[in-house]
Amino acid sequence: MDRKLEPLIPDKYAGDNPLKRVLAYIESQVREGKKVVGLYCGYAPVELIHAASLVPVTLCAFSNAPIEKAEVILPANLCPLIKSSFGFIITDTCPFFALSEVVIGETTCDGKKKVFELISRYKPIHVMELPQFPESPRALKSWVLMIKELKGFIETYFKLKISDEDIEAAIANSNLKTKMMNQIFEYLALDPPVIHWEELYEVLFLGLSCKAKDMVGTFESIIEKLEARKNEGYFEEKQGSPRVMITGCPVAGDALKVFRAVDRAGGVIVALEACSGMKPYMSYIEEGTGDPIMAIAKRYLRIPCSCMTPNDGRLRWLDHLINRFKPHAVIDVILHACHTYNVESYKVGEYIQKEHGLPFLKIVTDYSQNDTEQIATRIEALLDILR
Amino acid sequence: MKAAGLDVGSRTLKLVILNGNRIIWAAKSLSSFDQLGSVLNLLNGLEYDRITVTGYGRHLVSAHLGCSAISEIKAFAIGSKAIFPECGVVLDIGGQDTKVISLGEKNEIKKFEMNDKCAAGTGRFLEIMANALNYSLDEFAVAASSASKSEKINNMCTVFAESEVISLIAKGAKREEIALSIHEAIASRSVALLKRVELKGEILFAGGVALNRFLCNLIARELKRTVHVPADPQIVGAIGAAIHASGSEIFRVLWHDGKEVEVKAVHG
Repeated sequence: MDRKLEPLIPDKYAGDNPLKRVLAYIESQVREGKKVVGLYCGYAPVELIHAASLVPVTLCAFSNAPIEKAEVILPANLCPLIKSSFGFIITDTCPFFALSEVVIGETTCDGKKKVFELISRYKPIHVMELPQFPESPRALKSWVLMIKELKGFIETYFKLKISDEDIEAAIANSNLKTKMMNQIFEYLALDPPVIHWEELYEVLFLGLSCKAKDMVGTFESIIEKLEARKNEGYFEEKQGSPRVMITGCPVAGDALKVFRAVDRAGGVIVALEACSGMKPYMSYIEEGTGDPIMAIAKRYLRIPCSCMTPNDGRLRWLDHLINRFKPHAVIDVILHACHTYNVESYKVGEYIQKEHGLPFLKIVTDYSQNDTEQIATRIEALLDILR
Repeated sequence: MKAAGLDVGSRTLKLVILNGNRIIWAAKSLSSFDQLGSVLNLLNGLEYDRITVTGYGRHLVSAHLGCSAISEIKAFAIGSKAIFPECGVVLDIGGQDTKVISLGEKNEIKKFEMNDKCAAGTGRFLEIMANALNYSLDEFAVAASSASKSEKINNMCTVFAESEVISLIAKGAKREEIALSIHEAIASRSVALLKRVELKGEILFAGGVALNRFLCNLIARELKRTVHVPADPQIVGAIGAAIHASGSEIFRVLWHDGKEVEVKAVHG
């Protein structure tokens, strides 16, 4: 990335770890007397948390550092995301976990489900049972119940009441955020894109915790800058570079080695399919239905995670991203021991190659850095196919 | 113009210098912890106009030499076509990687597959297993070919396979039978990787592991297809890199005396 560029968020955290900015925001909320709720996954309906005037925060799960400690208790042959998050907890090194009053989990996989039992020794945790047959009518009914249960848990634990009006307001807040995020994503659809994935990540990280109203100013100034870049022809040297879409498991922290390998090989990342990327902003929640919990349930059940079966929603979501961002190749990032994404990769690869005619590369990795060269070889070869 | 290609592999360094379409120099040495030192030794006193580096250590070496670098996949794709134009699929088993590359009609890379990040089924795996059975690499292949029956090795992780081998020894299995079992395990793994691409055109087996003729036979037998093996399967990537350095499209490469680079057919 060209470091001479003016940072999109020109505060004292520019160029630093973007999590520091998120932490500062959370701390400012705590100083105002707000309570914090820790989350691990995109299925947690943040609208209920916002509606209760609580602050949602994504907990640390992307560093290799605490894995060694976690492996004293957990099997080594488990996904690095779970090992890392548990390692952060037992080594007391995740400031977000320390600030959280409670944690909300979802049964997205067996590993997480069982680790939640262990996490409950450190913090109160409320686990939502996620239906896995998204197309079945039972799924929606059961998911509505789970969301109501969560509402009950929040109301009891924090001794408050969440009204439908509060939830409606939170839905409007989420929708506004989705709209603004999608405006930013438009700048990735350009050739060349005028926003680098690292810059996008700064915005995405902030978006996970911030209320839309606290972000409007930041969003507007970002869009103004991106518009100026577009008009002034930034990143011109990147015009015509191979455009890469990333799909699969969430990627952040030490797994970003894959994105960096794309940069080094001369590719540009134009779409991020995963939960750590554009997925939280893939669609809107219906407003003013009179039944806001049902509206939330419908929206969240549409999240195309590999834990769902069948997960055809992911193929439709990929269609959308391919049409919008025009990638030349797709890389599926699988975290070691994530069986559902790993198995689903075959279907996804077949679909991408046959239906869209795009080269597809699956990379299975973890948070260690010792496969960086092997990953570089694969990505260079993938981009060679395109040149 | 003299164009050099250097393949900095995990176990072996390979160097080829082309003068026009003729190979005027081909040399190999073992990789060491001092990769740059080994490379400079190999290049010492040699003359060339341009050089391209490939292989595991390409980024380190190209940064030092100030030259271009290409992935092993591209290098093997170019090199294979240069010595064997009928080639449609390349199987390359090196020290730490197994790759399958399928090539299109315009010599382009259509698709490639690689093993997982561990050394399972690679040259390093063969070395460790030979060592566990107290064989040299040559003896290992000969012993395997002499065995009349084999045991199934289930675990292809190098570490676990080694303990599986040790338990087979403990059960009193014959050494050559274990050797055959290991060769069969590598062959079936390679065939599984090959089957992930469309097997159109002839198959070329390159990389250091192709020196093991018994394994070549096993792979051909399991595929029920002819597999072609270069007389020196290790230098294919270096030839590809040298062609890249020359800046030309792929051309047929010959030895300095005008002889073709020999490719043997192993029938399935």
